[in-house]
Amino acid sequence: MSQEGLRPAETTGSGYALPVFPYRRPAELAGERRRHKVAVVGGGLAGLTVACDLAGRGIPVVLLDEDDTVGVRGASSRGIVYAQKTLEIFDRLGIYRRIAEKGVTWSVGKVLADDDVLYSFDAAQGSLSKAPPFINLQQFYIEWYLVDRLAELPRAELRWRNRVTGITQREDHVALAVETPDGPYTLEAEWVIDASGLASLIRGALGAKMAAEQGEDRWCISDVRFKTSLPAERWTWAKADFNDGRAVWQHPMADGVWRLDYQMGPNADPKTIADPETVRDRLRRHLGETEIEIVWVGPYGYRTQLMDSFRLGRVFFAGDVAHVMNPFGARGGNSGVQDAENIAWKLAAVLTGAAPEALLDSYDEERRAAGAHNIHVTTRTIRFLAPRSPFEHRLRDAVLDLARRYDFGRTLVNTGRLSVAFDYAGSSLTSNGGTAVPNVPLTLPDGSTGTLSDLLRGDGAIFLVLCFAGAAPPALPERVARVFACNAAIGGLPVLRGAALDRLGGTGEVLVIRPDQHLAARLVRPPGAAVQAAIDKALGKERAR
Amino acid sequence: MRTDAYIPDADGFYEAIIAANEGLTEGESEAFLLRFALLLANQIGDQQVLLDAIRTAREMVAGTPRS
Repeated sequence: MSQEGLRPAETTGSGYALPVFPYRRPAELAGERRRHKVAVVGGGLAGLTVACDLAGRGIPVVLLDEDDTVGVRGASSRGIVYAQKTLEIFDRLGIYRRIAEKGVTWSVGKVLADDDVLYSFDAAQGSLSKAPPFINLQQFYIEWYLVDRLAELPRAELRWRNRVTGITQREDHVALAVETPDGPYTLEAEWVIDASGLASLIRGALGAKMAAEQGEDRWCISDVRFKTSLPAERWTWAKADFNDGRAVWQHPMADGVWRLDYQMGPNADPKTIADPETVRDRLRRHLGETEIEIVWVGPYGYRTQLMDSFRLGRVFFAGDVAHVMNPFGARGGNSGVQDAENIAWKLAAVLTGAAPEALLDSYDEERRAAGAHNIHVTTRTIRFLAPRSPFEHRLRDAVLDLARRYDFGRTLVNTGRLSVAFDYAGSSLTSNGGTAVPNVPLTLPDGSTGTLSDLLRGDGAIFLVLCFAGAAPPALPERVARVFACNAAIGGLPVLRGAALDRLGGTGEVLVIRPDQHLAARLVRPPGAAVQAAIDKALGKERAR
Repeated sequence: MRTDAYIPDADGFYEAIIAANEGLTEGESEAFLLRFALLLANQIGDQQVLLDAIRTAREMVAGTPRS
């Protein structure tokens, strides 16, 4: 463990003890002149993930964080739901085991209106991945595990209490003005990833344009412990009589803490709704008479925000700095992690000479499309949860009424569409595919058991080519792709075995899988040149022409 | 979206709607129509037809909506 000690979070509840990480005098302040390959600004979920992914790919990375702990001080809880694709990424990065041990694995959700269960779902049904559909865990734990993992990676340097105060873009690098306890210095990096969140200084300093909208809807989170035993499921009330007919969320997470999130009246005053007695009253109406320990209370509103471009020159924007949406569907944190994975493999491909710089433009293309999509999906949810007119109220009443009796009505009830991996079908890198390939369990050629993502680990940005019975083995440079046969002997290729593999591809098919485990191409009995062409396209070589 | 005559017994259909709304308040009739519309939408099950019908109804009442 790299932390120096523990410090209680600043909150009205009992809170959490957060780790404190040591500040070290940066080499630049000792007079050393350095040109870093990649600098990441912001040690939140997206920033730590991108640093971890880059360092794991053998790319030197320095991460700057203005603070010396994880979790936004006080608001130490933040995101809690980590979806399958995110868990697969964390598995590849080497922190999955700790997340699974600490968090609450779940797959069943129930949607209610007052006392009626309108429907329930089990997201584990039909899932091919070794990762469960969801694990709930306080965000700061994930960040903590990423920090610990980074400490094991020789290519990564974490600089705590290094606050960026200015930025200058130059032709072949970026100069960051950085403030430290030992005074200011200039950090030079070829590429910068800004993951510094909602209030990014860099975004403002570069004059980046973005669309923003502030909503009137107000909510109040109460993270609590109590004696009553509830199932480890996600329950959402579209309306609850114990919350004046408004929506309620009930979710378990680590340390026996439950997240209870209550919709408040429009424009409700944050102080009033978070008043300790008001909070206790609300909890009693929900849970009945039981011993309740309040861990953290957070009243909030939310905004919608999307940058016009996720790239400006040598700076890429990842996570909340680039896109902000309401939390219903857990699409904020999960999409931030996917931003991180997307830019990490592309930078690794360019910095190792496997791809032209044009590949980096596709980060904006792919991840801005994902951000816009997530904003669209979450906005639909809020329009259902917070109707804006008497008509919308009555329409929703009709839907809830029908949902009590008929299946089709249930599909119209929208208490959040949970985060799934974005489909890059429309991307200029995609030949024929785009979906995330589930991380299926399999037996590796050496007889050991593993998953697909085990084959994607290693330096640089490796593509995976899976050949199914009836396909010819393509000859490809080993540096770019690893080629396997699936459940069949194909011209001496190493063989992967596993029943789930046959769900990924059929006779004569060849799958070209990107370093982020998204499908670049699904080809049928392709000549070798077609496989190479699909990889070239996914590396941005067509864009470069 | 089809706009040719397709209801087998138009007069009988009109009569049935009126009968179903007999004695309802304005609010109850609106509630009736919303449920009726949603039940019908699920019978149609063709997204383009549904969107065409929504657009046509809106235009007939108040012109083109803000997007």
